[in-house]
Amino acid sequence: MRMWQVFKNGVLDENPTFKLVLGMCPTLAVTTAAANGVWMGLAVIFVLTMSNLVVSLIRDFIPDKIRIPCYVVVIASFVTIVDLLLKAYQPEMHAKLGIFIPLIVVNCIILARAEAFASKNPVLPSIVDGLGMGVGFTVALTLLGCIRELLGAGTVFGIQVLPAAFEPAIIMILPPGAFLTLGFLLGFFNWAGKRAKQLS
Amino acid sequence: MVKLDNLVVSSSPHLRSGEDVEKMMWHVNLALLPAVVLSVYYFGFRALAIIVFSIAAAVATEAIIQKATGKDIYIADGSAVVTGLLLGMNMPVHVPLWLPVVGSVFAIAVVKEAFGGLGSNFINPALAARAVLLAAWPVHMTSYAVPFVDGATHATPLSILSGAAQGELPSYLDLFLGNVGGVIGETSALALLVGGIYLLVKGVIDWRTPVGFLGTVFVLSWIFGGNAGLFTGDPLYHLLAGGLMLGAFFMATDYVTSPVTKTGRLLMGIGAGAITVMIRLWGGYPEGVSYAILLMNVATPLIDRYTVPRVYGTARKQLARR
Amino acid sequence: MGRLTFQGGVHPNYRKEITSDRPITPLAAPAQVIIPLHQNIGAPPEPLVAVGDLVKVGQKIADTEAFVSAPVHASVSGKVVAIENRPSCIGKEVLAVVIESDGQDTPWEGLQPYPALEEMSPDDLRQALREGGLVGMGGAMFPTHVKVTPPEGKKFDLVIINGSECEGYLTCDHRIMLEWTEDVIYGTKAFMKVTGVDKAIIGVEANKPDAIELLREKLAAEEGIEVKSLEVKYPQGAEKQLIKALTGREVPSGGLPVDVGCLVQNVGTAAAFAQYLKTGMPLVERVVTVSGSSVENPGNFLVKIGTPFGYILEHCGVVGEPKKLIAGGPMMGVAQITAEVPVVKGTSGILLFDKKDVPAGDARPCVRCAKCVDVCPVQLLPLFLMDYSLKGMLHRAEEYHILDCIECGCCSYTCPSRRPLVQTIRMGKADVLARRRKRQ
Repeated sequence: MRMWQVFKNGVLDENPTFKLVLGMCPTLAVTTAAANGVWMGLAVIFVLTMSNLVVSLIRDFIPDKIRIPCYVVVIASFVTIVDLLLKAYQPEMHAKLGIFIPLIVVNCIILARAEAFASKNPVLPSIVDGLGMGVGFTVALTLLGCIRELLGAGTVFGIQVLPAAFEPAIIMILPPGAFLTLGFLLGFFNWAGKRAKQLS
Repeated sequence: MVKLDNLVVSSSPHLRSGEDVEKMMWHVNLALLPAVVLSVYYFGFRALAIIVFSIAAAVATEAIIQKATGKDIYIADGSAVVTGLLLGMNMPVHVPLWLPVVGSVFAIAVVKEAFGGLGSNFINPALAARAVLLAAWPVHMTSYAVPFVDGATHATPLSILSGAAQGELPSYLDLFLGNVGGVIGETSALALLVGGIYLLVKGVIDWRTPVGFLGTVFVLSWIFGGNAGLFTGDPLYHLLAGGLMLGAFFMATDYVTSPVTKTGRLLMGIGAGAITVMIRLWGGYPEGVSYAILLMNVATPLIDRYTVPRVYGTARKQLARR
Repeated sequence: MGRLTFQGGVHPNYRKEITSDRPITPLAAPAQVIIPLHQNIGAPPEPLVAVGDLVKVGQKIADTEAFVSAPVHASVSGKVVAIENRPSCIGKEVLAVVIESDGQDTPWEGLQPYPALEEMSPDDLRQALREGGLVGMGGAMFPTHVKVTPPEGKKFDLVIINGSECEGYLTCDHRIMLEWTEDVIYGTKAFMKVTGVDKAIIGVEANKPDAIELLREKLAAEEGIEVKSLEVKYPQGAEKQLIKALTGREVPSGGLPVDVGCLVQNVGTAAAFAQYLKTGMPLVERVVTVSGSSVENPGNFLVKIGTPFGYILEHCGVVGEPKKLIAGGPMMGVAQITAEVPVVKGTSGILLFDKKDVPAGDARPCVRCAKCVDVCPVQLLPLFLMDYSLKGMLHRAEEYHILDCIECGCCSYTCPSRRPLVQTIRMGKADVLARRRKRQ
């Protein structure tokens, strides 16, 4: 039951994108298409879960004063793994995501979960927390990617959705489109959250 | 002894000037009328259709949002009409008619109402919408037409001047009257000047912003605008071409998004003028009035903060400390 | 040469023509006068009479030891019937002596005219100002003897007599200059004597050419007193703006006119001072302009201090649907809730407006049109001050000089969104002062 709570917390109550507003750099930069969002999310799920696992395991051995460098070493290892894997098996996607894969090392979400959760909790909840946060991040990026791809190109996951007569608004796949979409989604989730609280 | 009942008690002053935001907005609309008439004359009734669609969408969006958010509906104040009108005037004549509608909805819903409605937007709604449309549908937004010629697209004087397009430069007279390519509302410097002077005379706008704007463009384009070295530019051409008149009189002077201090208003004009010239001469676009004004809009709170006037009885201009 | 003026200001509809040619008419005393004791800025005087006492005109009925205060005198002869709290024109109840008139207006025996100016020392004159109960009659009611006493280390070099009368509707000062010209000049000389300066300027707005001409004519043979014509603009008669217009000097922020060597006195005060010196009768009556759209027979009246507004309005007649009663001018006057309030030393006008002339309409959002910035005579940014006051950002309000606001009301007058700017700033000022006191 508690595990479910931890997982749900990551996806909904403390969604890293919509509630904590963390990891904005990849959120804004890579979500020009839905698929980009999914792959970026998957990469983050892997790194987050694994780093949470390892940080939780070694949490009693790391001296307090040098804990951050230790976390970064752990995180960097997994990021390297993801980077190489993507390069090997998804070279196209790797090219699209580009620098943002190596940049996961400095992604606030991962460091924040290591510091705020994994270093204080046993292994199993840490894994679940990593999964929850990762899934929350993935959902958010995919949602952003879907909306931007739909309006900016008329497609979702590369499939033509809107009729051919629709003239895509190029701005949506440009940086301003990312800010606009994120702003609207943040506003919507804030409104929905308040509304849900009022109803309950 | 006279006894008086039901007296109204309120704090002084007990007089009002009778000035009214509503009246001022309708003055702006009236001042834009000559340019609208000329645009219909040059570009045909399609120009009118664009403007009508744009205004209708702006007013409808405003009414719907005010209703949905439980505010009083104040569409009669004319501010949504001004936004719609300015946006419509900022479009080439051949755009599909859904484009002004999308633009107006964006201007009112996102730029104006999402930030709190009248008085709270931080950038000019019409210009922001124009910038978004330009980024979203660049082909539609830059297919300029030539007056009296159906269907043909043509270069604007500024794109010819900057070397981005081929063609013969129109004469000063054509430029002044508006017989050139461009968006429907910007071409006639004459009509816009008439409207601008009307607003100045009526006291709706302050002279500092347009004078600063036009003056800076004049001086800087004269100094740097020529190919043969400094001081060989053609300042008059830069004044008359493009959206400068429209921007200087009607958009840089937008109350909400320009500074309130007198020095600030002058700086607003000078800054916008300088950015316009920079974009025109060295930037990637042939025209830069819209972006110049938008950038100055964003700088407005800062300008207000650093141009606080010297208060009576205080020693010196006191700059903001923090 | 451009007319003398200041930066900013507004041009409301003055409507002075309603009463400007109505001569000062004495009004008989009412059956009962209500004389508030606290008719000055500073300490309230204590009553010197008790219920049942018989008093005569000019008899002192309240005084105090405090320096910043002014005594109050009986304005009718008769019997004190009550000493109690009564409604006053500042909007709250204040302690007042109610005298029932015997209809005789018998002057008090102790009244003595003063000797000629040349035979009096500045100290004598200062004493006279206090004994006569003189306060600023333009509306501020600051004790005059205090104002003419410069603080340690400061000196006057110029007397300014304020005849600008920049408020709409009011014409009492105009009439005083026309009808009591000699008194105004005599009072001016008395103020020059008490402050020891040899230069005085009488500043009059250009919409009173007859007064300017008359004063110049009478002063043709005199040296040292100059009459200057001022641009017609509100608030030309505000002390600081007047000094700026006439001399180019600026009273430092938080300072007093004496800091730039100026003594500013209203023409009404000058005339009252002269009359007191000549007759020995203290300040017991004043000229009041009665005007406005609900007044049938408007005019300028010489009324006893303590006369209820209702009595005066009865004399003038009320028409239409009266909705707003104002003590003072339309820009800075105080709206009254009842006509029972009495005339005090600072009441320059009684205005009664019809329903249709009371501005209505809700405030709309500020569009930052900056009209308030352009008209502010002290170059403040009223829109920001209002915002900071509402949001409780008092440090910002203070940094933006909220305390330099003279509360003239130009910002509210001009605001096209009908926002209560000066009203809110007034509250902000009080909050800023309260915060300052708390810190000390």
